Amino acid sequence: MTLSGAWLRAASIALAAAPVALAARGDERGVRDTDLRACDAMHDRGNVAEAASCYRGIARRGNAGAQAEAYWMLGDLKAANDNFREAVRLDPEDPELRVRWGYLYLESHQDSEAANLFQEALELDEEHVPALLGMATVLASRFEGKAADLVEQALEERPDQVLGHLLTARMALEEGDLSSGREALKQALSRVRELGTVPLETYALLASLEMLEGTRDNEWVTKALEYNQRYGQVYAEQAHFYVITRRYREATERLRKAVRTAPNLWRAHAELGVNLLREGREREGREHLEIAYGGDPYSAKTVNTLRLLDSSDQFETFEDRDPADPGKVSALFKLDKDESALLLPFVRSLTRRAVAEFSRKYDFALKEPVRIELYPNHDDFAVRTMAMPGIGLLGVTFGYVVAMDSPSGREPGGFHWGTTLWHELAHVFTLEATDHLVPRWYSEGISMYEEWMADPRWGESIGPEYVEAVRKGDLLPLAELDRGFIRPKHPGQVAISYMQAGFVCRFIADRWGEPKLVDLLRGFAQDKTTPANLKAVLGMSTDEIDEHFEEYMLEVLGPAADGLPRWRESLKEALEAARGRDWPAAVEPARRAKAAYPQHVGSGSAYVLLARALDEGGDRAAAIEELLEYERRGGRMPETLKKLGRWLEEAGRADAAVHTYEGLIYNWPQDEDLHARLGELYLGSGRTEAAKQAFDAVLAMDPLDRATAEYNLARAYVKLGNLARAREHVLQALERAPTFRPALQLLLQVQR
Amino acid sequence: MVACLTFGNDRLPAATHFLLVEGLGGTQQYAERFRNQVERMSEALRSTVGDERLVTVLAGGNATSAGIGTAFERLATSMQPGDALAVLLVGHGTHDGSGYKFNIPGPDISGSQLKHWLDGVPAARQLVVSTTSSSGGMLEALKAPHRVVITATKSGRERNATIFGEFFAEAFGEAGADTNRNEAISALEAFQYAERKVKGHYADRQRLATEHPQLQGDRADAFLLARLAEGAALAESEDTRALLEQREGLEGRIAELTLRKDSMEPSEYLEALEELLLDMAEIQRQISEATEADPTP
Repeated sequence: MTLSGAWLRAASIALAAAPVALAARGDERGVRDTDLRACDAMHDRGNVAEAASCYRGIARRGNAGAQAEAYWMLGDLKAANDNFREAVRLDPEDPELRVRWGYLYLESHQDSEAANLFQEALELDEEHVPALLGMATVLASRFEGKAADLVEQALEERPDQVLGHLLTARMALEEGDLSSGREALKQALSRVRELGTVPLETYALLASLEMLEGTRDNEWVTKALEYNQRYGQVYAEQAHFYVITRRYREATERLRKAVRTAPNLWRAHAELGVNLLREGREREGREHLEIAYGGDPYSAKTVNTLRLLDSSDQFETFEDRDPADPGKVSALFKLDKDESALLLPFVRSLTRRAVAEFSRKYDFALKEPVRIELYPNHDDFAVRTMAMPGIGLLGVTFGYVVAMDSPSGREPGGFHWGTTLWHELAHVFTLEATDHLVPRWYSEGISMYEEWMADPRWGESIGPEYVEAVRKGDLLPLAELDRGFIRPKHPGQVAISYMQAGFVCRFIADRWGEPKLVDLLRGFAQDKTTPANLKAVLGMSTDEIDEHFEEYMLEVLGPAADGLPRWRESLKEALEAARGRDWPAAVEPARRAKAAYPQHVGSGSAYVLLARALDEGGDRAAAIEELLEYERRGGRMPETLKKLGRWLEEAGRADAAVHTYEGLIYNWPQDEDLHARLGELYLGSGRTEAAKQAFDAVLAMDPLDRATAEYNLARAYVKLGNLARAREHVLQALERAPTFRPALQLLLQVQR
Repeated sequence: MVACLTFGNDRLPAATHFLLVEGLGGTQQYAERFRNQVERMSEALRSTVGDERLVTVLAGGNATSAGIGTAFERLATSMQPGDALAVLLVGHGTHDGSGYKFNIPGPDISGSQLKHWLDGVPAARQLVVSTTSSSGGMLEALKAPHRVVITATKSGRERNATIFGEFFAEAFGEAGADTNRNEAISALEAFQYAERKVKGHYADRQRLATEHPQLQGDRADAFLLARLAEGAALAESEDTRALLEQREGLEGRIAELTLRKDSMEPSEYLEALEELLLDMAEIQRQISEATEADPTP
């Protein structure tokens, strides 16, 4: 996920009062002296008043390090911070102090500062176990693959510990690897019993494990609450695993229990608020966010989400009704007021098309209106979707709620909103048809597959990173594919996993037929695991499917994989010729590059280069064919496609030009000229209703030349036979431009 | 023909005098850019007003404080009380926290100096355009009931070199800027065109805009800056002059009607508007007939 700007603004706020609910303690997170342990014992049993009195005593008389810990537990993070600073000044060589200080920063939502302190501790002692675990905690919270390596190192250094096993268990459970999670928790529980340490975190993860296995209110929840009746974190922990598996309704139920059990568990209030927003319940979500803000005003999550809610005046919501049942709202669109007039018709028609197609194909009728939110400010979108693993997100689906960037939120060519909306609407079906039990890889795979099926021009193009991964055999086994989304080993693995998941679905559809995709979805709805479901539906183990899939991929992309070196070399040669404007010399190498890797339509595409070279050489017809191929394979640069449209118009190929321009609407609709050209072409071919819509789109963009836009709309109304509306628009044109001759001529036709 | 617009009963100046000043470029690239902008605008203005004496261009060694002061003195003595004045400043500007400065050879001129000169000219209406960086810093100083001020930036704090002047000059020959389709470009139309282009320039590059053009004052539409080819031909023709005057009168009546729009019933307004526009269609038909064979409006 790319986060910047607004999201980070609140994170820069200095330390101040914050809750103690998650104050991290214990030897594995740094040394703790005897006096503090006595207070901790009261706190851990829920004896809050006694514990507070005990901590106050230490805050008055302890050394700087102990005072810092005491203030922390009392909720005065500012004093805790000051005391840690003093303690580190007095003893700069002690890594323990820096680790403890790092945890304080973690608690106050400042992960980067925490990581810096853990790093400083490691520089003092590279094998320092609490520092290794602290750093692993930061990385694990960011879903970074390197966390596991650090935990492994920490366990090697000190096998007799709890926290390393807990981190291992948490990461395994997040990846859906329940058996590894269970094993790690067994180790943790055994250590807890041996060492006599506080068992609450272990109980909470065991409670989550059993929940993931099907029993929500299990013995570990009971044990945790018996140990500490105010330990609401046990429910919040369970909710975390529901959220990352996209089971938001269940997460909400757990979070409600968490805040009932521990009303001052501000993080749980914040999470509950955000989760309610994911379900489209804004009023109730705001209530919990405001409670969270009251207790912890320095959480970036809380502050930014409330700020986003405060900006809701800038948005308006439109209802769409089911044509077959006009009493029923089928969709809700939340759009920025400045662009709603332009976008609504296109967003609405694409949504209707997707819902109709997916309902039929997946044999599932939506039970609630789908709610679609488009954010022109990417930071707002990031705030709306935070806490989701993954990078570079364009859209996110929370069940019936879809949030995504608006096309105006990205630069031209950088974002195809049509394919993103289609992808997210496919998620609505895979999530809701399985009651959110579908594994991540399959939901993403279906969405990618549906993008490709919707229009050959749509969907992610196949980049060299994926081709390389196929060539090197770097794709993940199917049984582990979820890990590529949740905790990638390298930055490119998320994008590769999306592509792989899509190709797996395509492979299944090609080999066994598309209905098997639906059968698999039904299997997931019955909570089957990936191996069990694939075996039942396709009759093969995941290992066997991996083997066949590898063959399939080599068949599809093998030539491109082999051709990558030739593609790079030829493209370089063609680009050098183009730089020197030696267009004839660019033609052959560009052709070679294209032949070596025909799927490449990203930046530096051979098709675009070849088209330019051919056109400069006077062969416009051949240049058009190259750009048509570029377009068919998913080329997206608006300027290039616009040029193709113009060339097609000039060549008298109006239908092809319309096809190209219509495709551009789903790519970069903020182009007056595009809609005006489409309007003219529609008028010329008798598609008058479409012409009217195109000219409506021009007007929705508040054009500088409003007179012409009104006049064009009047022309469309004349052809539709609606002379009253034609008169209205022609008068509006002439009100601005009284001497506008074509409009005056039209007025003579439509005058009363 | 002298630039002259009639607008209902509100008679506008008999003649508009133009003063263009080309400031220092600093680099060759900017010097060329500013020269091109001034040439483009001055050519269009001369062609539009039809009287070279009404257009003064100061550049290079003439664009000093003394040179500009002399030009203002001359204008103060030659202009009639009903005349209008348009001053266009092209180049770089700065703002030192206390006031705007236009960069020229020798000492720069300040916003308050410019105000002093403008106040000394007996013009019924004035237009000041500054396409420079920091130009918004003079808006407050130049505020006056009879004065329209156009700047490239919203304040003196927008200090980066601007692109506004490029688009403002482009508007002088751009049919796309003629939003009221009268074959002529007014100061309002040039501003709106350039403002839109500036916005697009930064948005297309996904860059934060470092200039926000401003227009202060009323009736910027009354300052004619350029005639497009067809408009220029019509203006020069003896056959169409009377018809053009009729057309201008009708335009004034339509403008008056639109001012009363909010106080009228919508249907009543539309009927009145339609009636005037049908008269306009007839005049346009006669103009077409007089200039070519095509008798359409």
